[in-house]
Amino acid sequence: MIENAKCIIDARNIVKIYQNGSEKLKVLDDVSMQILEGDFIVILGPSGSGKSTLMNLLGCLDLPTSGQYYLDGLDVLKAKDNQLAEIRNQKIGFVFQKFNLLPRLTAIQNVMLPLLYRGAKEEEAKESAKEKLKLLGLGERLNHRPNELSGGQQQRVAIARAIVGNPHLVLADEPTGNLDSKSSKDAMEIFKELNRQGNTIVIITHDIEVAEQVKKVIYIRDGRIYDKN
Amino acid sequence: MKIKQLLKLVLINIYQNKVRTFLTTLGVIVGTATIFLVVAIGAGGEAQVNEQYSKLNVGTIIVMPAQRGKVVDPLTEKDAELFMASDNIAHAFPILQGSGDINYNNFSFNSSFIAIPPEYQENNNLTVQQGRALDDEDEKKKHKYAVLGAELANTLTDGNPSEIVGSNISINRRKFEVIGIFNRVGDTGSHSSYDDSAFIAYSVGEKYLLGTRANPIITVQATGLETVQSAINDITNTLNETHRMGGAEQFRILDAGSRLAAAQESARTMSLLLLAVAVVVLIVSGIGIMNVMFVTVKERTKEIGTLKAIGAKKREILSQFLLEAVIISLVGGLLGVILGFFAIPLLKYFELPALPSISGILLGLIFSVITGVFFGFYPAWKAAELNPIDALRYE
Repeated sequence: MIENAKCIIDARNIVKIYQNGSEKLKVLDDVSMQILEGDFIVILGPSGSGKSTLMNLLGCLDLPTSGQYYLDGLDVLKAKDNQLAEIRNQKIGFVFQKFNLLPRLTAIQNVMLPLLYRGAKEEEAKESAKEKLKLLGLGERLNHRPNELSGGQQQRVAIARAIVGNPHLVLADEPTGNLDSKSSKDAMEIFKELNRQGNTIVIITHDIEVAEQVKKVIYIRDGRIYDKN
Repeated sequence: MKIKQLLKLVLINIYQNKVRTFLTTLGVIVGTATIFLVVAIGAGGEAQVNEQYSKLNVGTIIVMPAQRGKVVDPLTEKDAELFMASDNIAHAFPILQGSGDINYNNFSFNSSFIAIPPEYQENNNLTVQQGRALDDEDEKKKHKYAVLGAELANTLTDGNPSEIVGSNISINRRKFEVIGIFNRVGDTGSHSSYDDSAFIAYSVGEKYLLGTRANPIITVQATGLETVQSAINDITNTLNETHRMGGAEQFRILDAGSRLAAAQESARTMSLLLLAVAVVVLIVSGIGIMNVMFVTVKERTKEIGTLKAIGAKKREILSQFLLEAVIISLVGGLLGVILGFFAIPLLKYFELPALPSISGILLGLIFSVITGVFFGFYPAWKAAELNPIDALRYE
């Protein structure tokens, strides 16, 4: 099945250089990777390895200095600002280490946002958001604000927000970094379950325990990708 | 994002910062209230001027000595007759003005009296509400009759003017019989006020009240508005011939039209001045809004990053923050208009005429919105231009 799967991420020879005054800093050096539909991949690396930069590039938050990047067949480097926003909105679901929920919005309003930015009707957005929150066991917390929720619950709201628009790719940056071990475990179970349901998931972390739970791990160090399996 | 959703998002943000929003709006409240009141005062002032001058015939020209007090070479009835020779002049009447104690039933009131040729009355919209007006007989036979202005009659009788007709009053201790009361004419712009004056025949004033101190002014009626200037020229020429000693120089020639224009002009200048103050207040409040919006954008940098990550376009971020600034200023504007409505009775208390108007409300609101758009734009643009990664990383 994997052999025939669609290639979601096709990155080739990605180089990212940051210009710091006159000093050039090569953060990513000739990185290439393919991620197929239905994959569950952990990108593992210590801090300063360039994994955050890689995540920003994969998430279309930033563009590489050189190289090629096709997301779901779309040439990201040729996209304009507005198109990048559309790609992020429709093809990618982000999960952040610090959840990044909007503090003044309720759980359901937070989850509705990506659909609203897509131009969906409020009622439809509300229905989908409610469905996803229920799926993640937050059916009773729809109208709570983030500060009324535990860390684990907040991360589940964030995950609901990431998957509400049925993206091609869920991109999670240290999703367990701010959670206690029980909530971490729960979050990983959720990702595994989402993957079983067909979602493509990429987790970026420095936590080996997270990496140990998946089959495919990509190691990154000093801006280079090592040992793929 | 649909505008309705965006608005909802903005309102949630504003609502949860009520105190800050209110403090930000204070300047806008004051500014909008000022604009609203400026327009109200302007309209009130203009209405007052127009009301005052509504009875005024703009073709009226007044010739008077340039200096007060004793005049060496006074105007005479003869001058008035000579003025009539001009084709540009319809009427010219000498009148005598004085002031003194007017006494009725032991109640004394200091007011003015005016001695007029009887024809003067019909040419100046002076009509009687009770009794009769002065007539040629009174002038010829020097009857000591007086016709009172409506306000004077009211004052003397303590609000019961009809009783005074047929009674005697004294003007500077000389007895006169009241034969009538004029209708109210309002301020004519040419005299202190007809309504507050007592009128007597010209010959009577000359003989009994002013004697040799008689120093008439001449009111001239031009044939039309367009002949006022030619009439003034004719008057000047006549005066130069008849008063060779000092010529026309020693007299002042005023035309009512230019006085009306001057009064309207000064009302307008006052409005403009107040408007300038309001604009300054709004600019200052706008800078306040800009300041707060910058702080808001800074505060929400991470949120902006998140919004960008989940697909908000630049335009949507810009609209969100711009809308927030505009709503804050619009709320200020609405409160300002309400404040303005409360301030109007206060102005009336200080006898400043103020007329609230739709145009005042609209102008105030439009200016408040413009303030919001203008000063909210830069912070909103800054927010929209934020790099998503930097914004996400911001702590």
